[in-house]
Amino acid sequence: MGTREDEYDYLFKVVLIGDSGVGKSSLLSRFTRNEFNLESKSTIGVEFATRSIEVDGKTIKAQIWDTAGQERYRAITSAYYRGAVGALLVYDIAKHLSYENVERWLRELRDHADQNILIMLVGNKSDLRHLRSISTEDAKAFAEKNGLSFIETSALDSTNVEPAFQNILTEIYRIVSQKQMREPPSGDVIRPDAEPADARPSQADTVRRQCCQ
Amino acid sequence: MEKHQPENDKNGYLSDTFWRTPQRAVPGRPCQRVQENEVMSGSSYQQFQASVNDAWDLGDDEIISGIAETRISKAISQTAALNVINSHRNSTKNVDISDVKGDTDKVKSQKEVISVRKNESKKTGAGSGMGGAGQMRHYPGRPRPVRLSALTSREESNESKIERFQQLLENIVLDLNELKQLSWSGIPIKVRAVTWRLLAGYLPANAERRSETLERKRADYKHLVRQYYDAERDDDTYRQIHIDIPRMSPLVALFQQKTVQVMFERILYIWAIRHPASGYVQGINDLVTPFFMVFLQEAAPTQELDSFPLDVLSETQRDIIEADSFWCLSKFLDSIQDNYIFAQLGIQYKVNQLKELIKRIDKPLHEHLQTHGVDYLQFSFRWMNNLLTREIPLACTIRLWDTYLAESDGFATFQLYVCAAFLLHWRERLLLERDFQGLMILLQNVPTQNWTDSNISMLVAEAYKLKFAFADAPNHLQSGKGDR
Repeated sequence: MGTREDEYDYLFKVVLIGDSGVGKSSLLSRFTRNEFNLESKSTIGVEFATRSIEVDGKTIKAQIWDTAGQERYRAITSAYYRGAVGALLVYDIAKHLSYENVERWLRELRDHADQNILIMLVGNKSDLRHLRSISTEDAKAFAEKNGLSFIETSALDSTNVEPAFQNILTEIYRIVSQKQMREPPSGDVIRPDAEPADARPSQADTVRRQCCQ
Repeated sequence: MEKHQPENDKNGYLSDTFWRTPQRAVPGRPCQRVQENEVMSGSSYQQFQASVNDAWDLGDDEIISGIAETRISKAISQTAALNVINSHRNSTKNVDISDVKGDTDKVKSQKEVISVRKNESKKTGAGSGMGGAGQMRHYPGRPRPVRLSALTSREESNESKIERFQQLLENIVLDLNELKQLSWSGIPIKVRAVTWRLLAGYLPANAERRSETLERKRADYKHLVRQYYDAERDDDTYRQIHIDIPRMSPLVALFQQKTVQVMFERILYIWAIRHPASGYVQGINDLVTPFFMVFLQEAAPTQELDSFPLDVLSETQRDIIEADSFWCLSKFLDSIQDNYIFAQLGIQYKVNQLKELIKRIDKPLHEHLQTHGVDYLQFSFRWMNNLLTREIPLACTIRLWDTYLAESDGFATFQLYVCAAFLLHWRERLLLERDFQGLMILLQNVPTQNWTDSNISMLVAEAYKLKFAFADAPNHLQSGKGDR
C-alpha cells in the first residue's frame, strides 16, 4: 500500500510478558494508540500491534507481541519469543506476587528466547502510590543484578510509557548498528517477515537479518 | 391426546389441529396453491405451511402429485418431511446475494407469503431464497428472495416458527432430533432458554421428568457452591478468575455489578475445580456470558439488559440463572475440553486442520498468508479458544450458539468449519493487504460490529457446506481424518 507506515530502516520484534493483569495490554495500547481503558479484556494467546519511532534519523518499526499472562498459555506464547530482540518484563508495583514471578519469567525467556535478547524490567501502575508493595530501589537492585534495564511506568497516566519503549528500542538499535560496523553485512537480503518488495528499505535491511528471527 | 395417536406421531398436536380442520380443501394439495395477491389467512393453513414449507423445494411436482393422489400416513409424511429438510439443507446452501437484492420489490407485494418465507429462509440457514419469482407464482410455499435486513426483525416475522417450537415443546416425549433441526437455523427469543436447556442435555426430553430434574440440579448446584466456593479455595484458580471477571465487558453496566460478577466467579470457579485436567483457562469466562444472558432474558423478558439491575430479581430467580448457566456451560464444554488442557492440544490440532482446509479450498488466500509470514495460530487461536465470542457481537454469538447447540454430534468439528467460513468471509479484504502488519491487524480486528443474525445464518450455512464437502473425506483434508 506504500504508505509511510511501510517505510522503515529497522524492524524490531519486541515481546511483552509478565503475570496476568499487570497491564501489558494497557502499556501496548498506550504506546501504539495512546489509548487507555481502565479494564481491558484479558489477552487470549497473543495479540499484535506496531509503531514506528525515530532514532538518529532512522525509522525504527517496533513489532510488539502482547502475550497472555496465564500459565496455561505458556506453551503457545513461548513460540512467539523466537526472533524477538527485546522483551518488556512487566510486573505490577502493587502486586507482590507479580514481582516474585519475575524470576520465572526470566527462566521462560532463557529457555525459549534468543540468547542475546534485551530485557527491560517494567514496574507498571506507578500511579498506585498508596498501594505500592515493591520499592523502586529493590526492583532496581534486582534488575542490576540480573543485567536488565529498569523503569517504572503508568499506562493509566502515561508516565514513562514512551521512554520505556524508546529506551529499549534505542538500545537495540545501538547494539545492532555497532554490530553492523564490526561485521559488515554480506550475502542476500532476507526479509524475515516477507514484506512486499516495494515496501523499501535498502541496505539497512540486511541488518534485520541479524537482529530479527 | 397421545392415547389415541399412533405412537410414532411425534408431532401429535400439530398434525391434530391441522388435519382436522379442513376449512378449505385439503391443505398441501395442489389445489391449495394461492395466487400472488391472495391473502392467506387462517391458522390451520399457516400451521400446515409452517410444518411443510421445506418440502416445496425438492422435486415439487413429484411431491405434490404424490400428496394429491395418495392418502399417506402422518408418520410417513413426517419422515419424508425430515428427509426433505435434510437434503434441502444439504443442497441449497448457496446464497446469491445479488439475486436477493434484485428481488426486493416483488417481495414487498407479497407480505403474507413472505412472513412464512422468512421462516423458510432461516430454516435453510442461508438467509435467502432459492427460487425465482417465476416459480413463485406456481408454488406459494417455495422459498424466495427476502431482503436480508428483514431477517433481523425476527420476532414479528417469526410467529409461525415460534408456534412450531411451542408445538414441539408441548409433547410429553420430545423429539430431540426434530428440535435440533428446527433450532439449527436460529431459535426465537421467546423459546430460546428452554430450548437451550434441552439441546444442552440439561433438561430431559421427557416432559414429565423436567421439573423434578431442574429442582434436583439446582439444589445440586447450591450444594457445589457450599462444597467448593464457600469452603477454602484454591488460590491460583480463584485469583485468575477474580482478575478476569471485572474486565470481561468493561463498558456494559450489567457486568459491572458485584452481584453479577460473583455469580460468574462461582460458576467458573466450581467448573474449574471440577475439571482439574483443564482448570480455568482465560476465555472460558466469555463462554458463560451467552448462557447467562439467555437465562436472564427469560427472567426479565421485556427489559433492557445492558444496564439491568440484577438485584431487582428475586434470589430464587438469580439462583436459577446461575445454576442453569453452570450446568449448561458444563455440558457445552464437555465436547471441547481438550481445547483447555495442557498445551491446549485441541486447539493446536484444530488450527492445523484449519490450515489444511484453507490450503485445499482457497490456495490463493493460503499462499497470501504464508507469503507474508502470517501463521494460522497467530489469529485463529483466539477464534477457537473463545469460540469467536471476541470477534462478533454478543447477540450474534447467541445466534451462533443456537446452531452449535443444535449440532447433533457436538459442535467441536463444526466450529472448525465456522472458523474457516469466517476466514474466507474476509478473503477479499485480506488479499488487498500487502504486508504482515496489515494482515494481522485486520485479522485481529475484523469489522463485525454491525453484524446481525443474518450474517450468522450465512456464516453457518457456508460452514455447513464446507463440512459437508470435507468432514468425512479424509483425502480432502489430509491431516484431519479424525474429526472428533
